[in-house]
Amino acid sequence: MPFTTDWRQTIRTNNRKTFMVMAMFFLIYVGIGLLVDIYMNAENYPTAPLSQIFFALITFKLFPLVTLIMVAVAGISLWVTFTFHNRLMLLGTEYHEITPENAATLQEKQLYNVVEELKIAAGLQFMPKVYLIDADYMNAFASGYSEKSAMVAITRGLINKLNRSELQAVMAHEMSHIRRMDIKLTLMASVLANLILIVLDLFFYQIIFSRRNNNNARGIATIIILLRYLLPIINILLLLYLSRTREYMADAGCVELLRDNQALASALLKINNDHLSNHDQYSAQYQQTPHENVRREAYIFDPSQAGITPSGSLSDLFSTHPNLKDRLKALGFQYNDKT
Amino acid sequence: MSTTAIILIVVLVLGGFIVLTYNRLIALIEAIRNNQKQIDIQLDRRFKVFESLINVVKKYMDYEQTTLKDVVALRNQAQTAKANGDEATRIAAENKISQIASNLNLVFEQYPQLKANENCLQLQEEIVNTENKLAYAKQSYNDSIETYNANKKSFFTSMIVGMFRSKLDFDFPYWQLTDTQVAEHESYTVKL
Repeated sequence: MPFTTDWRQTIRTNNRKTFMVMAMFFLIYVGIGLLVDIYMNAENYPTAPLSQIFFALITFKLFPLVTLIMVAVAGISLWVTFTFHNRLMLLGTEYHEITPENAATLQEKQLYNVVEELKIAAGLQFMPKVYLIDADYMNAFASGYSEKSAMVAITRGLINKLNRSELQAVMAHEMSHIRRMDIKLTLMASVLANLILIVLDLFFYQIIFSRRNNNNARGIATIIILLRYLLPIINILLLLYLSRTREYMADAGCVELLRDNQALASALLKINNDHLSNHDQYSAQYQQTPHENVRREAYIFDPSQAGITPSGSLSDLFSTHPNLKDRLKALGFQYNDKT
Repeated sequence: MSTTAIILIVVLVLGGFIVLTYNRLIALIEAIRNNQKQIDIQLDRRFKVFESLINVVKKYMDYEQTTLKDVVALRNQAQTAKANGDEATRIAAENKISQIASNLNLVFEQYPQLKANENCLQLQEEIVNTENKLAYAKQSYNDSIETYNANKKSFFTSMIVGMFRSKLDFDFPYWQLTDTQVAEHESYTVKL
């Protein structure tokens, strides 16, 4: 076996990695702040060597204004992530929560039932929140920073096109992500990496559309445009913490819960073929959905495998999703690419 | 001096190992107990859900079934009357059908979800859901017993279990069918 199926071990690893991601995030922000501070003070004290300015800043002899602002921004980012994680992960989509009381159709009721069944199978203490995304493409993801705050989201296309046992398989896959606390790490890595981009995007478009011409505004605009293209590099640093085996592990966890590998294999095939046959339509839909990058690492199926890339993603080369062929092989099936 | 230090370290490491193992086994035992209760909860739930469900649906399906029988009977009555040229009987029969139909419509309007088909689907979903929950509760229980037993019987841990037999050594039976039940279910085929 190339990986351990002991999910308790995985929880420990994921906890450690989540901490590393948060620490990394802080370090990057403080680093950027310090650089800007040094640069600004170097202009005020042209004769002083940079190391002296650096020490003056960290001993507060000079007030490290930008650094402190960046620390505050990082702190607020973390707080926002913890407080609004559900909405952040669903950002840009049309969704509603499904509860036993408001399930309108038999289908929605069935979705809730399936999640409830698997909650028992996985031995979770809390029922995750269930969200239905109004989209035609087939995909699903899980998120949260603890069992109590966990959620699963699923698109309408998926519940329309999968039968009960396939739906069960997809949900079992997501439950395994919850049980292993992959969700925590994925949430931190993808939200922290994208949060500042989301905020920057707001400014970015404002700058593009309002062409003010004084010098000061142009300076700020340059900084924002630069950051807009430089910060995705941070994404890559943070996303490198995501393990490349977590999808395999969740697939294995799904088989562990269902004692059946057929259902997941057939669900994955269906999702893949559906993406291929509706390529153009889904491609447009994915691109029209803002902030698709946030969900990218959490999805059960990475749309880029069907040649669909959400707009403005720099991290294509760093996709941590294994391809379908390998996943099916790990499940014990051979993918025949002759259709 | 160094020998006492070494002895001290060995004792500490051993003590730590014993405490950790003890705690782990206690956690596993409690997980089993919790999972066992989960089965009881699901059995109880199944009983209640099925009882109320079948009652509700039976009432509706009975209603629709008897109505259907009535309608078929009245239709036959009307057709024989028509063949015999007995218009009065025919009209009376047809009128009765319309009355039933309007009654039925009224009931349908009160309960839009009331269609035999829909009821069957809902019943089916509820039954599958309940049975799955029960099966998963049993599976979860058996899995936790497996983990506990494997831990308990493995080397080193088994020595610690030997030291605290009353606290750590339990024999949880796996949830399983009896031999006669297994034989019975094995020879079962669907008769169509």
